[in-house]
Amino acid sequence: MADVTFTVDGKKLTAPAGTLLIDACKAVGIEIPAFCYYPGLSLQAACRMCVVRIEKMPKLQTACTTTVAEGMVVQTETDEIKQARKATIELLLGNHPLDCPVCDAGGECELQDMTFKYGAAESKYVEIKQHREEQQWSPVVFFDRPRCILCYRCVRVCGEGMDVWALGIQNRGVSAVIAPNGQDHLECEECGMCIDICPVGALTSGTYRYKTRPWEMTHVATICTHCGDGCKTTLGTRRSNDGMEIVRGDNRDKSGINGDFLCIKGRYAFDFANRTERLTKPLVRQADGQFKEASWSEAIDFAAKRLREIRESKGGQAIGVIGSNRTTNEENYLLQKFARTVLGTNNIDHHRTVDYVSFAAALAGKSERTASLRDTANAPAILLLGNDPTEQHPALAWNLRSNVRLNRARIYIANHAEIKLRRQAKQFLEIPKDGYASLVQYLAGNDSVVAANEQTAAFRDAIRKEESLLIIFGSEFRGRDIQALVEFGLSLPNTKFVLLGDYANSRGAADMGLLPDTLPGYVPVASAAHFADEYGAVLPQNAGLDLLQMFDAAQSGNLAALYVVGSNPVTRYGVDPAVLKNTFVIVQDMFLTETAQLADVVFPAANLYEKAGTVTNTYGDIQLVKKAADKAGVRSDFELIVRLADRMGADLKKLVPFGRGVRADMGQTRGAQSGEADRHSVWLAAHGLEPKLSPFDPFATLDEIQRLVPSYSFSRLELLAGSDQHAKSELVQISAAPARRDLVLPSQDTLFTSGTLGRYSDKLKEVLDSHTTPKPVEAAAD
Amino acid sequence: MPRLVSHPDEVKIISRRFGQGAENLDKYLELDGYKATQLALEKGADWIIAEMKASGLRGRGGAGFPTGMKWSFVPKQSDRPKYVLVNGDESEPGTCKDHLIFLHDPHAVIEGTIIAGLAIGAKMGFIYLRGEYRYLLKIMEKAVADAYARGFLGKNIFGSGVDFDVVTQTGAGAYEVGEESALMESLEGKRGVPRIKPPFPAVVGLYGGPTVINNAETIATVPHILLMGGEPYAKIGSERNGGTRLFGISGHVERPGVYELPMGYNLKKAIYEVAGGVRGGRGLKAVVPGGSSTPVLRPEEIDVGLDFDQMGKAGTMLGSGGIVVIDDQTCIVEFALRTIAFYQHESCGWCIPCREGTDWLKKTIGRVHAGGGVDKDLDNIRYLAENMMGRTFCPLGDAAAMPTLGFIKKFRSEFEDHLNGKPCPYARHEELVGA
Amino acid sequence: MSIVRNIAAISKGMSITFKEMFQPTEVENYPDGPGPTRGAVLQDRFRGAHVLQRDENGLEKCVACFLCAAACPSNCIYIEAAENTAENRISSSERYAKVYNIDYNRCIFCGYCVEACPTDAITHGHGFELASLNATNLVMRKEDMLVPAVGMPGELAAHSDSVK
Repeated sequence: MADVTFTVDGKKLTAPAGTLLIDACKAVGIEIPAFCYYPGLSLQAACRMCVVRIEKMPKLQTACTTTVAEGMVVQTETDEIKQARKATIELLLGNHPLDCPVCDAGGECELQDMTFKYGAAESKYVEIKQHREEQQWSPVVFFDRPRCILCYRCVRVCGEGMDVWALGIQNRGVSAVIAPNGQDHLECEECGMCIDICPVGALTSGTYRYKTRPWEMTHVATICTHCGDGCKTTLGTRRSNDGMEIVRGDNRDKSGINGDFLCIKGRYAFDFANRTERLTKPLVRQADGQFKEASWSEAIDFAAKRLREIRESKGGQAIGVIGSNRTTNEENYLLQKFARTVLGTNNIDHHRTVDYVSFAAALAGKSERTASLRDTANAPAILLLGNDPTEQHPALAWNLRSNVRLNRARIYIANHAEIKLRRQAKQFLEIPKDGYASLVQYLAGNDSVVAANEQTAAFRDAIRKEESLLIIFGSEFRGRDIQALVEFGLSLPNTKFVLLGDYANSRGAADMGLLPDTLPGYVPVASAAHFADEYGAVLPQNAGLDLLQMFDAAQSGNLAALYVVGSNPVTRYGVDPAVLKNTFVIVQDMFLTETAQLADVVFPAANLYEKAGTVTNTYGDIQLVKKAADKAGVRSDFELIVRLADRMGADLKKLVPFGRGVRADMGQTRGAQSGEADRHSVWLAAHGLEPKLSPFDPFATLDEIQRLVPSYSFSRLELLAGSDQHAKSELVQISAAPARRDLVLPSQDTLFTSGTLGRYSDKLKEVLDSHTTPKPVEAAAD
Repeated sequence: MPRLVSHPDEVKIISRRFGQGAENLDKYLELDGYKATQLALEKGADWIIAEMKASGLRGRGGAGFPTGMKWSFVPKQSDRPKYVLVNGDESEPGTCKDHLIFLHDPHAVIEGTIIAGLAIGAKMGFIYLRGEYRYLLKIMEKAVADAYARGFLGKNIFGSGVDFDVVTQTGAGAYEVGEESALMESLEGKRGVPRIKPPFPAVVGLYGGPTVINNAETIATVPHILLMGGEPYAKIGSERNGGTRLFGISGHVERPGVYELPMGYNLKKAIYEVAGGVRGGRGLKAVVPGGSSTPVLRPEEIDVGLDFDQMGKAGTMLGSGGIVVIDDQTCIVEFALRTIAFYQHESCGWCIPCREGTDWLKKTIGRVHAGGGVDKDLDNIRYLAENMMGRTFCPLGDAAAMPTLGFIKKFRSEFEDHLNGKPCPYARHEELVGA
Repeated sequence: MSIVRNIAAISKGMSITFKEMFQPTEVENYPDGPGPTRGAVLQDRFRGAHVLQRDENGLEKCVACFLCAAACPSNCIYIEAAENTAENRISSSERYAKVYNIDYNRCIFCGYCVEACPTDAITHGHGFELASLNATNLVMRKEDMLVPAVGMPGELAAHSDSVK
């Protein structure tokens, strides 16, 4: 829209016509206070804090509902306005308890800030304040009614933003009160957005409440370890007896790829890190079959010695390696390098939640064809095939809903279930569970494959008319189906694709070559010359055993050793424990999982919140992981792999190319304890002076990744500054998808589960239990 | 059925058919019923709007916006259906005029709705009655059903080829939905809270369509204007205030009731002649001239004409035409308390100044009346009311603040008499308090 | 002139000295004096070891707001907060201090914590005999600083509960 010029506090400003005055002012640093206004939600004009004086208007006007107009003259801080705001705060404080010392919001409370600013310190009333008891609405949401100032932000974010409509208003006038939909409890998605958005301490978090104060915590913005969306979560950590303990997860600075949004897992499900049964000492199985705690050097020596023996006696093909979906790119890369150069085997795999290889092959050489998570919030038209983003990709679901609400995006959904997002869909098509491939053929023009009717025809016509389409699809598509879908998509103009996989770094695991047949960047193992040169080692040329073949080999006695990093394949694939009885098993994990219980050596590992590096979400957005928490006794997987390699006699300089460049560890790997150093590292990176001192420095490995994997060539400066970088799918070095076994096993997680890790979160379990009382999901949401 | 009152000074236009059984359709037709509609169908929209503009009719709900102009604001072309909405949510204390119209002349409302629809090109009208008027809904529903049965409503009305439907609806008992956009929310089945303006209802109103919303009295006047012509109607009233208006005179007068007086009629005359003066020969203490939300007048201020402009000059408002007369044995603090208690009860809770302000006003005035007041309370009442004025989301906050400011400014000495632990020194009138 | 002024100043100062010189000698017979302070005379305003107060119901006044820790210039106050429950009520508000430590190796007795306290929970007592041969003894826990609940309603209630 055309720009208009107007004057605010004597400053000439320019903004597009139709901009709200409050936004236009904020853009140039003139802050107009408001409780009820929240960008992206419907306008409320209820708190009357944003009143300003506009010339030629008889009354004070609310800046949150006024759009800028040519020649408008505005005053935002005159005595009259200050008085109006002060009077409003006085009215609010009339009934607001002054329990700031105990209130969770004390120190980060908007009402507190406004009171200090406008000085409504003296009470004009002698009547006693109304006190009401605090209510617990769900395992994670508590409501302290007297503190509520009725800004309705929670009601709107729950209804408009989440499309859950679990909050509403009861009664009227001074008795008006925010109330949950289920009488005395919430029936909702437990996202906690209402708590995040509450300007005061009326809504408090079940995990954080009354634990500490905002200024007592260190806040580290890192990437959530749970689903494939890769949201930024800000972890508030606090000194504890054995390191840094996470006490709060929230979405503090909104700078992440997820914008305003954070779901239950990002917000509350960090508590696995604080569990008492976490392993903190290496365990070595004794001759009597019992685990015994050992020192790090004993355990590593023991494991390395056995691995070395097996490699020398039986060769690399007798060793298998299983990687993780939640470890960093650097660790995944290092693990495959370790497997291929030190162990000498291609027997490496991970739990594949989706077929990234076929997707990469289908898009090889096509530039600008994969979408970022950010694109889903502003694409004009979206085709969603399969998956249920509300349960499995909450941030995507949020983006799609916001996109429809704010940009009137058109969403076309075909699914075998009546997923909740259909309520935002322009057209919804229910198809059989095995009907996705036929649907794609139908969309491509083959009428004979589905029972076509008016609805399907309208669906196809609408999609084909779109001038720009974002196709999002789930694990329902594999192998040739992906190829067919991409071919269909490319027949339309301006198409972009998203493949939805699970877990924080499933995409990274595939990108980094945790696969028996491809190297990092999907390079086939047969054409490994480039990598062999760089690694200075001979790489095995034949495809290795995949995950299921490894267990078959173990059963037939052909797998002498298995190295499992942060994974629980025994449960996930239903492996019979007896299969592994003659295999030497090394497990790195946080807990004594079902797989770890079968191990000969168990190394206590750090989780994603306790290390630094990068992860790639399922959209291909690469983001920086910062170290937030710390736990005495655990080691990062990166460190463990390096130490194991060292004990096996590998050349560490070859494994981790540290020591090139300027030698200065500015501590960026430590995150939490060194916020200053992070900023230094940004500066250093900008000047090509990146610190690469230690063999445990994942950024040394990131250098090598960026050298060898062209799709990961992005700005290191931007990454370190906290921006997300998109992987370049056109640079993937793969020609065609090799014929391979379909090993995709979707995690089938819901909002309240997260694989093996989720089972160790008490909060998730508590929420899950509270939701297992019989309740139709749709009825609660409607 | 309440007793009707009359006085020779009355000019009976809207109340012409009161008491004559016009709720019966045949009787209504005898009394020139539906003639205006047929005339309107014949002459068309432009003529209707021209006549309305000529009549000088100003909205009878209280704001006094010229009706003809309001109708002309509705866009001619619209993607969404247009609607006519009749605001019968008559909840202002002291006001009971629409009540009589629904009771005695329901077809006039239907007729006015059809004409308004013809003027703006709407195909549908809604008649919204306040929740407490549920018993009147039966009368309205019967009138609508009768009109449908005769072909006055529905498809092809009066054989003209024009379709028009009317739907009746009651609220759930909230003063707030008397505000036009809150009424629309309520009618749409949502919580009755006002909408942000702009957009105004004439552009985006009910169900997103352009909507004309008028007070029931305004709508009921429309057929009469068309029959008698706009200019003759305008001549009855004072300058820029055309026609007559129903004034409900209540409180301490000899003959309380609803009188139809020409606009500009003298208030003093209305109290002392039309309504027979203060009851029992007592002295006059105060007059609330246009429903409880208008600032109070002292006895020396009541020699003023009852129209929008003259009342504005006198520092008050014509409002909804509900004149409340207060005799000299009434406690003004108690009256102020009763008034603010009403608004405190009816505040919807949407915005802070109204929600919290009415409550603190009620608490403070209540305490003053009960004898617990301290000196700073009086300034505090004034401070609260002044800081509510013009700061609230909708006019309800003003409606609560304005009379309170009037009471504290004009009767401050009475408030002072209550301070410092003194019991109420004025006689209490249970009739008024209970009213 | 300046000489005269200097002489005047000196003689004024010396006059106090000479006056005190002929006063009877006063000795605070610490540590051999009488009473709980063993002869030490302490002014009311003296800032000694901290005391954590209880309210009239015997509940702890501290609500673990962390303001003392925030105000402390030597960073010697360590608090861990926890939530009161109906069964286990420690303070009168929602939150109480599960752990409240003051490290007297670092405390400078500035009194800022007392100033900052919104509930008057932390006060300076008159305890001054804090010397120790072992620095680890100088970290005082909540239990060391809390006034005893003897004779307070809370204590009685707790007692009757335990009897049941």
